[in-house]
Amino acid sequence: MKRKLFYTVVILAGIIAVGALWAYNKPADTPVALIKKVVQDVTYKKADMEDWEDAKVGIPLNDGEEVKTGFRSLALVLFTDGSGILRVRENSILHIYGEKQEKSLDKNTFIEQGKVGFEVSKQDEDEEFKFTTPTVVASIRGTEGLIYVTTGATNFYLHRGSAFLQATMGSQQSGTIGANQVVTIDSTGNMNIIEATQQNMDDFTQSLQVETEKVKIETDTHKLEIEYFPPE
Amino acid sequence: MKSFFTFTHKLVVSILFCSFLFLFSSPVSAQQASNYVSNVSYETAIEGQNLTIKADLLQTSNIANITLAYKTFGQTEFVKREMEIVAMGAEVTIPAEDVTVPYLEYYLIIELRDGSIETYPYGIPDEGSPQQISVRALSQKDKEILLLSPARGELVTLSDLFISISLIKAPDSIDKAATKIFLDGNDITSMALFAGDLIIFYADNFPDAVSYGMHSLKVEVFNQDGTVYHTINSDFKLVTTEYAEAVGKQFVYSGNVKGESRSEVYGDESTWYNNINANVNASYSNWNFEGNAYITSEEDSKLQPMNRFSATVKTDWMSLKVGDSYPRYPTLIMDGKRIRGISGRVELGAFNIQASYGESLRKVDGTLLETIASSETNSLLSSDVIAIDSIKYGNPYGKVELGTYSRQIFALRPSFGSGEVYQLGFSYLHGIDDINSVEFATNPEENAVLGTDFILRLDDQRITFSGQAAISISNSNIADGSLTDAQIDSVFGPGSLYDVDPEDVKTIRDIIEPFMTVNQFLGPLNPQEFASVAGEGAIALNYFNNNFKAKYIYRGNEYNSFGQDYLRTDVAGINITDRVRLLDNKLFFSFGYENLEDNLQNTKIATTTYKTFNTSVSIFPRANFPNITLAYTNYNNQNGIKLTSADSLYVVDDATNRFMAQLSYDLVAGIKHNASLSFITSSRDDKGYYNSDASNTSVSLSVNSYWDKDLTSFVSLVYYASDISYKMLDTTTVITTDYMDANSEYNYTSFSIGGRYRLLDNKLELTASISPSFGDFERQAFDFVGQYFVLENLSLILQARLYRIPNESTNSIIGLTTRVNF
Repeated sequence: MKRKLFYTVVILAGIIAVGALWAYNKPADTPVALIKKVVQDVTYKKADMEDWEDAKVGIPLNDGEEVKTGFRSLALVLFTDGSGILRVRENSILHIYGEKQEKSLDKNTFIEQGKVGFEVSKQDEDEEFKFTTPTVVASIRGTEGLIYVTTGATNFYLHRGSAFLQATMGSQQSGTIGANQVVTIDSTGNMNIIEATQQNMDDFTQSLQVETEKVKIETDTHKLEIEYFPPE
Repeated sequence: MKSFFTFTHKLVVSILFCSFLFLFSSPVSAQQASNYVSNVSYETAIEGQNLTIKADLLQTSNIANITLAYKTFGQTEFVKREMEIVAMGAEVTIPAEDVTVPYLEYYLIIELRDGSIETYPYGIPDEGSPQQISVRALSQKDKEILLLSPARGELVTLSDLFISISLIKAPDSIDKAATKIFLDGNDITSMALFAGDLIIFYADNFPDAVSYGMHSLKVEVFNQDGTVYHTINSDFKLVTTEYAEAVGKQFVYSGNVKGESRSEVYGDESTWYNNINANVNASYSNWNFEGNAYITSEEDSKLQPMNRFSATVKTDWMSLKVGDSYPRYPTLIMDGKRIRGISGRVELGAFNIQASYGESLRKVDGTLLETIASSETNSLLSSDVIAIDSIKYGNPYGKVELGTYSRQIFALRPSFGSGEVYQLGFSYLHGIDDINSVEFATNPEENAVLGTDFILRLDDQRITFSGQAAISISNSNIADGSLTDAQIDSVFGPGSLYDVDPEDVKTIRDIIEPFMTVNQFLGPLNPQEFASVAGEGAIALNYFNNNFKAKYIYRGNEYNSFGQDYLRTDVAGINITDRVRLLDNKLFFSFGYENLEDNLQNTKIATTTYKTFNTSVSIFPRANFPNITLAYTNYNNQNGIKLTSADSLYVVDDATNRFMAQLSYDLVAGIKHNASLSFITSSRDDKGYYNSDASNTSVSLSVNSYWDKDLTSFVSLVYYASDISYKMLDTTTVITTDYMDANSEYNYTSFSIGGRYRLLDNKLELTASISPSFGDFERQAFDFVGQYFVLENLSLILQARLYRIPNESTNSIIGLTTRVNF
């Protein structure tokens, strides 16, 4: 009995020691993304945080962390492998996921709600870039477009390139969308890819806008500056 | 005075040092014997990036225009692009898609005002060889070490500024913790945070570290053994919030105006030139506007335009240019030809349209030298004697100095698809000389071309099918317009010259006439033999690190487009190239084979077969070792006629072997040096009647040394030797058709040494060089350029060039340029 106990303690101690050693030598987590620009009300939440905190330019985002934008706000999110940039428009919630492989980074971005413009460079063969929404998963390689997630539906517009989409609900249809095409995927899982309308293209062009408007009121004694994001 | 001695000392040391580094020559500068071009320069050629070629001119007074001819490895023919002549230089940009490893070949075609042609290097294609530019593959390291923020040239406010370097893709062999970040040369690494494979510097935390204005950024990444693995350089501009707002929201503009006054003394002739060059760029939202104007005293109504002007407006989906433009359509239709008019495109993806309309030749009035009566029949046979208005001038014919008709070109290309996966295009070009534009000219012409082109990319663009085809119709003399009904009735019909129903001819005329003038000068005469058809089809595959391309081309002997002056016609055959990338883009093997034949319409005495084989190996070791390119090319031309036959004068039977070696090396020996060596030798064995054997060898070497941020020195040496055999009339015999063998040797050595020095806190930059040439090409040249920044946006440039040709003349060019940026 004592011998068993002894062995158990030794094995446990060994496991703990190896684990501690591994933890000690484990390289620091490499952020998946960075916040490149902040306009107005942008907050972020780390895995160990309960509340949202105000985001600042240059804040690194690790696997599983979230970004939220408020009314007439904007965040630019830059992936650390140089693979692309996201324009998180107003009233959006975004979850960033990433897993580092040998020399690459598999990215998955869960868009809980809102509108996100994306510009993703061509991925290497061993790399993945996915967008996930409540109704669809999109695998992309080198594309540019706009995703609009509303309650129960995702509107996906592609400005260039192509993307493979797999509905996650209902009939779980799948298909490939090309440049200047748009598709809406709802909870039925149906997918109807059609040519983009002028309105879709205008929305996309509008989503590229990242500059703010400012109104300055100056008196002899005070200065009032109101910065706002132009209506979309 | 101290700085002068420092400069002198460094220059002397530089010369001594360079004399030891005899192994290398500059890859960015080429200096050959020429009467018009002193030097050709370019930045390091990197695959997939635009490459601007600049030629420094010795004199411009006799130059009508300069064209760059270039081709990539294995390409069938030289692509020719007109260079923009501005002041004492000419430049043109080779588009990124044409900049491919392992090398580009190029030469310049200098057309003089008397109509004669000279090339640079001299004597191409018979005596000289084109120059080579080694093209460096995009380093894998550029993809491994990523500068995430700020982007190159970005305007950024202090609150938005952070510097971030990603080492996610860097190899395990590097020491990430040893990475150094330099801002304007100052090491700021200690202020940066290392988070895994990411390094971040927050400017907000160190507001004093970055001031407003332009900043240079350098990141050095080291191997585990402490050696530098890779260095990236970038720049950004820190601006105030107000400035950033202005840039982001409002109409923003910038530009420069440059005025030059210059005196050229060439022999006994002295000429003053004055010119002004203005460029304006402006943007509003995602709209961009560009304006360019170059006005020169060289403008002469007797010549084609030397002034240039254009205004452009463009955005993501459209562009419109008014003035001088160089539109690019499929290469068989129009490719970079200058037209003065309007040119634009709308690109919607699914449907696109491109159109151009303008003048490609300006009218140049001829001169009536003397009138000739119809009785003077002997004089009428001369090519410069034309019919004139006998009422106005008294006689029906006149001996004239021929003028040039104004020529208008219209081109249209609708296309479907963005080209990312597919694109199908249809092109139409029509060009016509305005017969009323000048009085004394002859043979006004007209041309129409109809073409189609497609591209299809599959498997993520790894497979590309492309092709284009075009058919042309030309009229070599439209002076008298289309045939009348009476003329047709008199020539066609039973018992007439052509037994063809005149009504059929009239019907055909009526169909064609809206597009072309229909008369006896309309061609081709043999359309059934595809004489005016041109086409090509290609497949490109990109698998297993191979870039394989196979192409078939066909160009009938009468194919002609007014939009494309330089297309080689009467040729058909295949062209195959393969480029293999190995060892992570460190090693390239290239192979090319071409087999072309002419005489497609049996218009020549025999069919000549042109076979070309070329291969090269390029090594980019990314270590402390030179980049090396070795190439071999074999040309073999034969037409099967024997020397013993009656047609022996027409024998084509020659073979040329050309070897090329280029080494370039960035090394640190006390200071940083950029050095390389270039060796080209070519030997032609001509077994034809004229026995035109030729051999030439060119060796050039130079070293650029970067002593500090203010002083750069350069030294180069060129050795050239050629030996050409030919037959000449034997004047020693009484038989006037006897030929004797002769040969001509031409050897010279050219040496150049100089330096560039910045002083007075970078307000003054002095550049000077001395370049003597010895041997059969004797010249001593001295160049001096001084640039002084009176204000940050106002500079004065004094340029002086003195060159002496022994026993001939001492020539000089002295110019003063004022430049204002706004």
